[in-house]
Formats: sequence, C-alpha cells, structure tokens
Amino acid sequence: MSVELKIVCFEDIFQYESGEKSRFSDEYRQFSAVILLDKQDMASLGVKDGDKVLVENEISKIVVAAKTSDDEPHAGLAFMINSVWSNQLLRDDLCNASVSGFKGITARVAPSQGEVTRIPEIVQRLRA
Amino acid sequence: MTTCTGCSLLCEDIELVLKTGAISEAKNLCRKGQGHFQALFTERTKPMIDGKEVTLDQAIAKAAEILKNARTPLLYGWSNSTLEAQTVGINLAKKIGANIDDTSSFCEGLLMERILNGKIPTCTLDDVRNFADTSVFWGTDPSNSHPRHLSRFSYYPRGEKRQKSYEEERTCMVVDVRKSATAHLCSNYYFRVPPEGDAEFLESILTVLDGKIPKTGDKKRLIELGTILKKTEFGVIFPGQRMIYSMQDKMDLFEELVARLNEITTFKVIPMVGHYNMRGFNQLMLGQTGFINSVSFRGGAAGAATTHGPEQGVALAAKSSDAALIIGSDPLSALPFGTARALAHIPLIAIDPRRSLTTDAAQVVIPSALSGLEAGGTALRMDGTRISFEPITESERLSDEQILTRIMEAI
Repeated sequence: MSVELKIVCFEDIFQYESGEKSRFSDEYRQFSAVILLDKQDMASLGVKDGDKVLVENEISKIVVAAKTSDDEPHAGLAFMINSVWSNQLLRDDLCNASVSGFKGITARVAPSQGEVTRIPEIVQRLRA
Repeated sequence: MTTCTGCSLLCEDIELVLKTGAISEAKNLCRKGQGHFQALFTERTKPMIDGKEVTLDQAIAKAAEILKNARTPLLYGWSNSTLEAQTVGINLAKKIGANIDDTSSFCEGLLMERILNGKIPTCTLDDVRNFADTSVFWGTDPSNSHPRHLSRFSYYPRGEKRQKSYEEERTCMVVDVRKSATAHLCSNYYFRVPPEGDAEFLESILTVLDGKIPKTGDKKRLIELGTILKKTEFGVIFPGQRMIYSMQDKMDLFEELVARLNEITTFKVIPMVGHYNMRGFNQLMLGQTGFINSVSFRGGAAGAATTHGPEQGVALAAKSSDAALIIGSDPLSALPFGTARALAHIPLIAIDPRRSLTTDAAQVVIPSALSGLEAGGTALRMDGTRISFEPITESERLSDEQILTRIMEAI
C-alpha cells in the first residue's frame, strides 16, 4: 500500500537548536527524519506513530518515521521539517522567477521495514 | 552585552557568561540563539586538506591554489558573514572572475529585490514596535524561526503609539498552509491556504478590497479580513519562504496588493529573512553590481558584472563550476539533492566555524571565528538597520574577513 502526497516543509525551533549543536547527532536525526501525516493517510498506510515509511519521488528516496499530525484534517498533504532529509526530495530546476520549486514536494509514501536513513548514507549518495 | 547572530533580528541585548565548555548564564537569549552559541563548544572545525589536519597557512595556500586554477569558480554562502567579509568576498569574485551567489537566490531574494529597488514600501522594526497595529505573518512562523519577533517588535511591546499593545491595540494575523505555533497564538485571525494557493487567496483579498464578493474561499472570513485591513492605521506584512515559494512568478500580484492597501491606509513589508546578514549581502551586491545576487564576473572587464540571472544562481552554477568556496553555509544539507550532489563532485573550500556535511565533503576546510562571539563586525538586520558588534571572547581563529583577505593576497 502506498499513497501519493504533497509535502510542505516547515521550521521547528527545537530541531534548529539541536542542529546547531550537531547535525550528526541521534537527537538531530530524531527531530528531523520525521513526516507528519494526516490520520486518514496513516490509516490508509496501516502505520502508527513511530513506524518507518519510505518516501520516494523521481529525485531520491528516504526512510523516515511517521507521526500523526496535530494539525488536522489535511489528507493528501504531509509536513516535514526543513532538513537534509526533506531536501533529498526537492527539485532544483528553476521556474521563470528564479526560485525553484523548493518545498513543493510530491512523493509516494509507503510502509517500510528499513531503518531511518542516516547522514553517512545521504553523504554517500551525494558523492556517488 | 553582545549581539546574537542566530537570526536576522540581531538581538543586541544578550547577556552571557561563558565558562570553559559551556554558557553558564544567559539573559534574553532565545532557544534558537542558545543553540547558535552552543556552536562555540561543539564540533569546531580544524584546518584540513583532503581529510587530513594541516596548518592554517597550508589550508589557506591550498584554497588560493584551487581558486587560482579554477576556470569557473563559484563563491557561495555569505548570509552568515559580516558586511566587512562580504565586501572582501565580492572583491575576491571580481579578482578571479568568479560567480558569486548567496542563500537569497533560494529564499527571500525574489521579494528582497523589490524591497531594495523601492517597488514595495518597507519600514524598520522600530517603526513596527512604535506604530504598527496590524501584523500579517504570511507563510512564516516567527515563534519557531524568529522567536523574539513578537516580543521585541510586532505584538507584545508597548510602543510609542501602541501603549495598549496586544491587549487592545495590536492585531496579529497568520496566513499559512499549516497551523503553526504563531497561528495558534493568533488563532482568531489564522487563514489557512492550500499548498500553492497563496496567489488565489491574494486575489480574493484584492476582490474584497474592491468591495466585491470573492469567488473562492470562505467569503465571510475573507470579508472580515478585508475589513480589518481597511481599518488598519499602520500595517506590516511579514512574508516568509512558504509564501514566496507558493507565489513564485506571481509576485507582481503581491506588489499590487501592497499598492492597493496603501491607497486605503499605510502598509509596509519586511521579508522574514532567515540568516543574520542576508540583507547585507543583497544591499552590497545591489550597490556594486546592480543585482542583489547571482552574478558572474567571468570574462568581462576587471570588476564588472558580466552576467546575472538563474544561470548564475547556485542551483545552476553548481553544475557548471569546477570549484567552489563555501562560506558560513551548509549547502550539502540545506539545498536540494541535485544542487548538493553537483557541489559534492567539485573541489570545495569550506570556511566555517563548525563541522557540517559541507565541511566533511570539502577538499579544504578553514576554521573561522563565530560572528558575534569570537569576531566583531557589522551586519544589516532584516529591516536594513545597521548593527555593529564586538567579540566578547578571545579566539585564535581568524574572522571570515581575515581569511578571505589572506586568500586574496595569496592568489
């Protein structure tokens, strides 16, 4: 089972503080590698809080933890904190106005048995 | 007293007591600033070449060699550097015929250009504190991004003409795709827009201001919004990234809205710039080149900007450059996959106080002092106000300005 979702990014002060201390820490990963889903989308996927989901589009793919959004209802729309995890899914081709399609992510989300994608794996992909 | 360079509010009232390895006392420091200053004690960079520790002189010499031999060098970052460092950086770009760009080409640049060219009226944050009765946060969440915005300027303070403040005299509105912390705070005036729906929402406001019924959206609430905007004495709109990404090539509509509001009352705009001196870089570049960002000095007369546009923005320039100097920025973490990947495949020189994905991937790492704590300088707050600051602790690390000057001298 998978669902196609629009993902919008947002800022979070606790994650920012954690990232200022270290972008390589477990704490920063736990804050950042999360997707906030509508209750209906959680049910469609058959996942509960903390379960891992694969988020994939034509750009890249990552595994993050699913969490029920407290800003409901927004079925079909998900939220991720600005971070290297969400940025893996971003297009960088330019529109006329020179700002990219930044933060308007469309991706397919499916349950995953994998572990949350870690920074070394992301760096490896960037260098590949 | 020191200045926090954790965001573009540049709070000047920070009192800190530092002890070895920690901040022992802090006054007026928000959580974001707390994290920013923790960078003093965690994961500091060392001079490196190809992953091996070297002397600072060796790292600077190698950086100069890479830039000198590059055919299409890119200089990127700048929004977390002082005006003094940015000035040297622009001179370096002119000297080596480089492409230079900052983080604004991926965020507030589209709006900042219109502000700096006088197409959209603006004001200072002190004007906001003293006179503003309506603040509209559009596609931004200051409670998380600029934590002291509401307390110092836009909502809670008792300003010169706003002694009754948030209790009676100030209205705070939020327009956003998500009910953010700030939207919860002013939930009576939270207007939800669908993803990429900002332009349509804006058109509806224009319709209401013209005394007509909007075709889409919650008509009753839109009319209520229009009534508040019309009754405003001094309003300020604070657009953030989510609004700008959503509007993209329809920014003329926003300009039209602000012009229409100013036919009725007074409305100003201050972009919610993230990095502490993005505006400084944009103003310096505009003064020297006529463009706020994304400029190439390659192949023209000495010091003359030859080309400007999306091709000179980091997203495309990263794919056509053969080396890049990155200063005070972590593009491998902060930029989209394709841009980050292109940068990861060319020789990088990273000037940064602390470890990041970019410093880990860099061929040359040059450690720098942390602005506001270990190095002084000048910066422009998000509203253009010039703020000067002195270091509060001694450091052996050079400032960005000193490092760039030494690279210039070595080329």
